[in-house]
Amino acid sequence: MKLGISLALAVVAVAAFALFETTASTPPARRAHETPIDRFEALPATPKSALQIGRPEPLASGRYLARFSVVSHPTPARAEPRTSARIITTLATSTPDDTPNALTVLRAETDGNGSLWVRVRLPILPNGTAGWVRRRALGAYQTTTERLVVDRKRLTATLYRNGKSIFRAPIGVGTDSWPTPPGEYLVRSELTRYASPFYGPIAFGTTARSAVLTDWPGGGFVGIHGTSSPELIPGHISHGCVRLRNPDIVRLASLMPVGTPLTIE
Amino acid sequence: MSVYEPRPEEIEELLRSVDRDGAIVEARSVADSPISRGRLLGLALAGTGTTLLARAGSASAAATLARSDIDILNYALVLEYLQAAFYTEAERSGALTGKTAEAARVVGAVERAHVTAFLKLLGSKAVKRPLFDFQGTTEQQTAFLKTAVAFEDLAVAAYKGQAPKLRAKPVLAAAVGIHSVEARHAAWMRELFGITPAVNAFDKPASRANINRVVASTHFIVARPRTTQKRKPKYTG
Repeated sequence: MKLGISLALAVVAVAAFALFETTASTPPARRAHETPIDRFEALPATPKSALQIGRPEPLASGRYLARFSVVSHPTPARAEPRTSARIITTLATSTPDDTPNALTVLRAETDGNGSLWVRVRLPILPNGTAGWVRRRALGAYQTTTERLVVDRKRLTATLYRNGKSIFRAPIGVGTDSWPTPPGEYLVRSELTRYASPFYGPIAFGTTARSAVLTDWPGGGFVGIHGTSSPELIPGHISHGCVRLRNPDIVRLASLMPVGTPLTIE
Repeated sequence: MSVYEPRPEEIEELLRSVDRDGAIVEARSVADSPISRGRLLGLALAGTGTTLLARAGSASAAATLARSDIDILNYALVLEYLQAAFYTEAERSGALTGKTAEAARVVGAVERAHVTAFLKLLGSKAVKRPLFDFQGTTEQQTAFLKTAVAFEDLAVAAYKGQAPKLRAKPVLAAAVGIHSVEARHAAWMRELFGITPAVNAFDKPASRANINRVVASTHFIVARPRTTQKRKPKYTG
């Protein structure tokens, strides 16, 4: 009797297993080639990314880009990119305006010892002098896409951004006795909230120096500023500085960042 | 590809030549605790004197996100700013050559796209771009590669550390998408530098201490020079 029951249970178990195997291993006709990965079709869909990342962005043209940096440590500027070269001048970290000593960066070069040197325009006479300083004596490179052009013949100042004119105004420049020096310079500081109507409401400091007024307080640097005599503009009226009518200097200040290259032609 | 695998001490010695405090070296030896996004964000903000912009009325997709997710996104944005600025300056310097120059060009374009995407998502809640002083590492090939390896490893570790903390799945999806791209960049730069790109079976996230110390002590994030003064001019007039 017990044997019979056992046999019956065994037969049932074998039949159930066979049925399970048949069910499990015999796919429906439409899934004849199901792979293990197909069993996960019911997984939730991937959420849409919150960031819509576009195509890679190639570097924009650097045609109108200018670089400048500030002197982070007092340093000699040398005639060649090597420590044995002649010292042209020693650069301080700040200007007579008590602002960082910003310089136009021209290019870089590595010397035979692997030290990096940077060629910069120097704020010394004669105007246009360039020299080499160690990279570690400078701060961050900063860039601008603006350029201010002072035209001494047309008596205009024009500000360009990415090569397009965005500002133009009549100006006063130096007389024949105290000429505004031609050349390539840098707008390196901005002074505001001082009590001197002669300079107007805003004055920009530059790296240009008067070749005539060499004993002028502060070193004879050329500024770009407002005026208390707007009726004299345009004209050859100054000691070398570039004067604008006060509304014009205020508008210029809203458009021109410190670090803008300055061309006086 | 070279099968040469420099010994750890050799790598550290190389990196120290461009890394005054040894901080970049440490970025490569990541630890295993979460990163403080707030600390790194704080570094960027301290360097720029900037606070989160909160212009009313400039709505963005970020308006629907949790504050913690926005913080993490801004944290990532600082790292993306860092990388984009690094490759941009390197490409503009013209000092790189061969495959390294090509890699800088390609990776830089991708990092700039990342920045654009973050800015678009965060809108007015995005942190401002800090000023970076790469101290010449963009102007010499070897120094560039050392720093690039460190930056990419740092970014990978940072994304890995933050992703599990994101609350919104769409943001997590974005983070994972960028993380794998940064990992490819890391592998590419490692190969160019002569290091085996992938040797570990499992990468750990960067520790809070490591990330903060690395970014701070490299001094790559700097304050903007104050070029405006309230004083009477002494110009020639």
